[in-house]
Amino acid sequence: MKEVTPPKLGQKLLKWIISEELYDDIDGDLTEVFYNDVSDLSLAAAKRHYLWSVLSSTRNIHLRRKLKFYNPLVMYKNYFKITFRNILKYKGYSFINIFGLALGMASCLLILLFVHNERSFDGFHEKKSNIYRLDEVQTFGAVSAQKVALSMYPMGPNLMADYPQIIDFTRYWTLNRTLLNIDNVSHYLENPVRVDTSFLRIFDFKLIQGDRDKALNESLNILLSESNAERIYGSENPMGKIIDIPDFGAQFTVAGVFEDVPDNSHLQFDALVSTLAWDDEQRKNAWGSNYLNTYLELANNVDIDALESKFNDFLVKFMGEESLDYYELFLQPLNEVHLGSMDITHDYNNHKKFSKASVDIFLILAFFVLLIASINFMNLSTARAATRSREVGVRKSVGAFKGQITGQFVIESIMLALLALVVAIGMCYGAINTLINIIDRDLSMNLFFEPFNLMLVLVTAVLIGSLSGIYPAFVMSRFNPVTALKGNGSTGGRSTFRSVLVVFQFAIAIAIIIGTTIATRQLNFMQNLDLGFDKELVVSIDMYGDTNEKYDVLRSELNNQPSIIGVTGTSQKLGNNLHQTSTTYELDTARVNGSSSFVIVDSNFFDFYKMEIVEGRALSKDFAADGQGRSFIVNESLAKELGADGSDVLGMPFHFGGTDTLGAIVGIVKDFNYNKLNLKVEPLFMSNQPWASWSEINVKIKPGNIQASLEEIEAVWTSLFPQRPFEYEFLDDHIDAMYQSEQQLTQVISILSGLSIIIASLGLFGLASFTVRQRLKEMGIRKVLGASVSQIVMLLSKRFTVLVLIAFIVAAPLTYYLMNDWLEGYTYKITVGVTVFLIVGVGSWLIALLTVSIQSLRAAKSNPVDTLRIE
Amino acid sequence: MKGIHLGEFEELVLLAVATLEDNAYAVSIQSELHERVDRKANISAIHTALYRMEDKGFLESTRGGAEAKRGGKNKRLFRVTTYGYNMLKESKATRESFWNVLPQISTN
Repeated sequence: MKEVTPPKLGQKLLKWIISEELYDDIDGDLTEVFYNDVSDLSLAAAKRHYLWSVLSSTRNIHLRRKLKFYNPLVMYKNYFKITFRNILKYKGYSFINIFGLALGMASCLLILLFVHNERSFDGFHEKKSNIYRLDEVQTFGAVSAQKVALSMYPMGPNLMADYPQIIDFTRYWTLNRTLLNIDNVSHYLENPVRVDTSFLRIFDFKLIQGDRDKALNESLNILLSESNAERIYGSENPMGKIIDIPDFGAQFTVAGVFEDVPDNSHLQFDALVSTLAWDDEQRKNAWGSNYLNTYLELANNVDIDALESKFNDFLVKFMGEESLDYYELFLQPLNEVHLGSMDITHDYNNHKKFSKASVDIFLILAFFVLLIASINFMNLSTARAATRSREVGVRKSVGAFKGQITGQFVIESIMLALLALVVAIGMCYGAINTLINIIDRDLSMNLFFEPFNLMLVLVTAVLIGSLSGIYPAFVMSRFNPVTALKGNGSTGGRSTFRSVLVVFQFAIAIAIIIGTTIATRQLNFMQNLDLGFDKELVVSIDMYGDTNEKYDVLRSELNNQPSIIGVTGTSQKLGNNLHQTSTTYELDTARVNGSSSFVIVDSNFFDFYKMEIVEGRALSKDFAADGQGRSFIVNESLAKELGADGSDVLGMPFHFGGTDTLGAIVGIVKDFNYNKLNLKVEPLFMSNQPWASWSEINVKIKPGNIQASLEEIEAVWTSLFPQRPFEYEFLDDHIDAMYQSEQQLTQVISILSGLSIIIASLGLFGLASFTVRQRLKEMGIRKVLGASVSQIVMLLSKRFTVLVLIAFIVAAPLTYYLMNDWLEGYTYKITVGVTVFLIVGVGSWLIALLTVSIQSLRAAKSNPVDTLRIE
Repeated sequence: MKGIHLGEFEELVLLAVATLEDNAYAVSIQSELHERVDRKANISAIHTALYRMEDKGFLESTRGGAEAKRGGKNKRLFRVTTYGYNMLKESKATRESFWNVLPQISTN
C-alpha cells in the first residue's frame, strides 16, 4: 500500500521558507492538519490544502530569522569607497588595468559595429527571404567553369510564366554614365539602371515622390535619386519635368524621386528607367547573351532545390539540348549576395562585396583581443592582491566570511570592468571616424544605445568583470589573516597559473602579428608584381557614341601634344574580368568551336602597353588584314588550348562570334595579368575590328609634370567635345582599387595586431612592476652583497624571456600552418620564410624585455637603504 | 502602551489560547476558532499571530506532546501571560466604556 505522506515538494519548500528555529513546530502543525484532512476529506484535497498552507506560509518568511550580523548596504558602500581609493592610490596600475581592458573592449565594439554593418546588407527589404538572384554556372570550352552573376534578358519573364513558384521577377540592367540635357545644361547621371515595372514592388527602396506602382509603367519615365534631383533642379519640384537624353535620342519625364539608396544595399543606382523602352521583339528572344541581373520573388515555402532541378528543362526548352554544355542556372538568396559572392565573377552590381570568411576572421580577432585584454585584467588584479593582503587580514579578523571577501573583490572587478566600458565607449567615439575612412563603411555608434544592445554590452562587461575577478578573489579570500597582517601574506611571487596566462597572451599576440605581416607582404607582392604590361602613367578616359565618331581626330590631336607619348583605344578596361565570346578555329581535321575572353584593341595596343610578343608579330597598321579584323593575337594560355604545345598556332585559321570567314592568328603575346592576381590568367585573344567602338581611350603621358599633361588632354578633349565634361582615371589607381577589400582587411588587422601587442605589453608591464616590487627587499640584500645593476636586471628579466620564448614556440608552428593554408588560395604568392618568424619573435621578445627592464632597472637602481629600512 | 496594539484577529487567537488552557497550539486554536466563531483561518495566519504575540510578550510557549500524526514533531503549546491577560481586559474595558455611553437601542 502506498504510504500517505504530505507532498515531498511542499515539505522541501516549507523548510526553505520557514526559519530553522520555527521549522519543527510549524512542520508538525501542517503535518497534523494534513492527516486530519486525509481522514476527513480525500487524499488529493489534503495534499492541495497542504500545498496551499505551505504557500501561505511565505507570509511567515521573516518570522524569527537569524539576526543579521551586518547591514549589507553599508558594506557595499564600503566596497565602493575602497575600490575608488585603491584606484586613486595606485594610479599607474589602475590606468594600465582599466586602459588595457578598455582598449580591448573598444576594438571589440568597433569590430562588432563593422560586422553588424556587413550583415545588415539588403536587410531592409520586407520580402528579403523570398527574393533570389538568378545566377549561372558557365562552362565554355577553354575557360574553366565559373559562376557568374549574369543572366539573359528573356529568362525572367519566361521563368515566371513557366513556374508558378516564381511570383514576380525584375531585371537589373545597368547603363553607362549617361549625359542629360536639361534646358541646354549638361549633367551626368553616374549610375542609371533599367529595371522592370515590378522593381519597386519587389524591393523596398523608398519613394519620396511618385507612385511606386505606376512610376515604371511608362517606357519614357525616369525616377531620380533625391540627391540627383536636388543637384539638377535645386529646390524646384522635379516631378513632370522633361529630361532630354541625347544618347537614347529620347525625352524622359521625371515620374518619381526616391530616397538615396542606403550604403548597405548591394544594388546602387541613382536613377531608374523602365526596360519597356528597350523591350523589342529581338531582345525578347535574345537567348545566349548575358548582360544583366535577374531577381526572382518566390512564393512562400518554395523548395529551392526542387525548383533549381527544373531549370535544366527550362534551358533545353528555349535554347536547345546543347545549351546544357554551357549553362547551368542556380538561385542565390538575397541575404547571401553581399557576403557570399566571392566565388562569383562578372558580378558588377554588388556594392562593397565582401567575403564572409573575412568577417569571420574579424570576429575571431575581436574575440582574441578581448580575451588578451581580459587575461591582462585578471593577471594584474591577481598580482595586486599582494598589496591588499593587510586589508584582507583586517577584514577577516573583524569577522568577514570567506564568501564576503570573494564577493568584495568580484564586485570590485565588475566595477572596474564597467569603468573600462565607459572609457571604451569614449575611445570608440574617438576612433570611429578613422575606421569609417579606412573601411569605407557607414557605421554609427547609435547602434549600441538601442536598449537590447546596451543590455547585451553591459551584461558582457559584467561577465568579463566577474569571470576575471573570480580567480584573484579566491586567491585573496584564501589569505591567512595572521600572515596577511604580518605583512607578507602575498602568495603571488611565483604563480604557474599567471605564467600560463602570460604565455597564452603573448602566443596570441605573436600569432596575430605574424599572420598580419605575411598577409600584408602578400598584398604588397601582388600590387607590385609585374603584370606583364606597363600600367604606369596611363590615363584612361571613358568614350561614348558621339566621342567615338571622332576617335581618329582625338588620337592625332592628342599625339600632337608635347607631353603625350601615345594613345590607344580598347573595348574593355584592363584590370577587370574580360567578356567572353565563342570562337571558331580550324585544326587539321575540322572546324572546332570554343570560347575565350577577348578584347578589341587599337593596332598600337601592344606597343603602347609594352607587351611582350613571344612568337609571331603584334598587330600593326602595315598589314591590311589587321585593320579589317582578320588578324588575331592570342595569349599563351589560349595558344596552349588551341595547339598541343602552342607552337603550331601561328597561322591557324581563327575567328569569333560565329563568323564564317576565318582570319588567322598572327602572334602570341606573353600571358599578362588583366585581372586580380588571385585568379589565374584565362585564355584571351585580341584583334582590331573595323566596327570597333572603344569604351575608353588610354593616354600614356611623360613622367614629370602630370598636372600639365592632364591639362593638355583636357584642352584637346574640351575643344572636340564641349558637351562632355572631361573626366579621367589613372589605370594604376584602378588596378589598386581591385585590392581594396584586401587592403581594408589588412589595414584593420594591422591595427588590431598592434593593439594586441600593446595590450599584452601593458599586462606584462604591470605584472613585472609587481614582481619587482615584491622582490625589492631581495634586491636590496643582493646589492648590499655586491650585485651589479646589470646582474639584477638580468635576474629579473630572465623569467619573462623564458615566458615569451615559450609563447613563440607555441604560436609559430600554428601560424605557419594557418598562413600557408591561406596562401594556397593565391596563384601568385610569397613563400613564408623564417625571417618573418625571427623578426616577430625577436621583436616581441625585445618589447617584453624593454617593458620588464624599465621596471627591473628601477629595482636595480634603488638604494638598498630605502628598500631594507622598512620592516 | 503606545505602539502596542491588539488586532481583531490577534484578540480572537489570544482568547482562544486562554480558553484552551493547557492544549493551546496552532491546530487546536484553528479548530476552536472554526467551531466557536465560525472563522476559517489558514494555519499560516495563526502562526503569524501566535509568534508575533509571543514576540510582543502576550504569550509564552513550551514544547511538548510529540505525536505520530505530527510526523513525530513536538507541539508548541502557548499560554497567555499576565501581560496578555491585562491586554485582553483592557480591550474589553475599552469596548465596554463605549457600550456604557451608547444610547440604548432596542435589540428585540
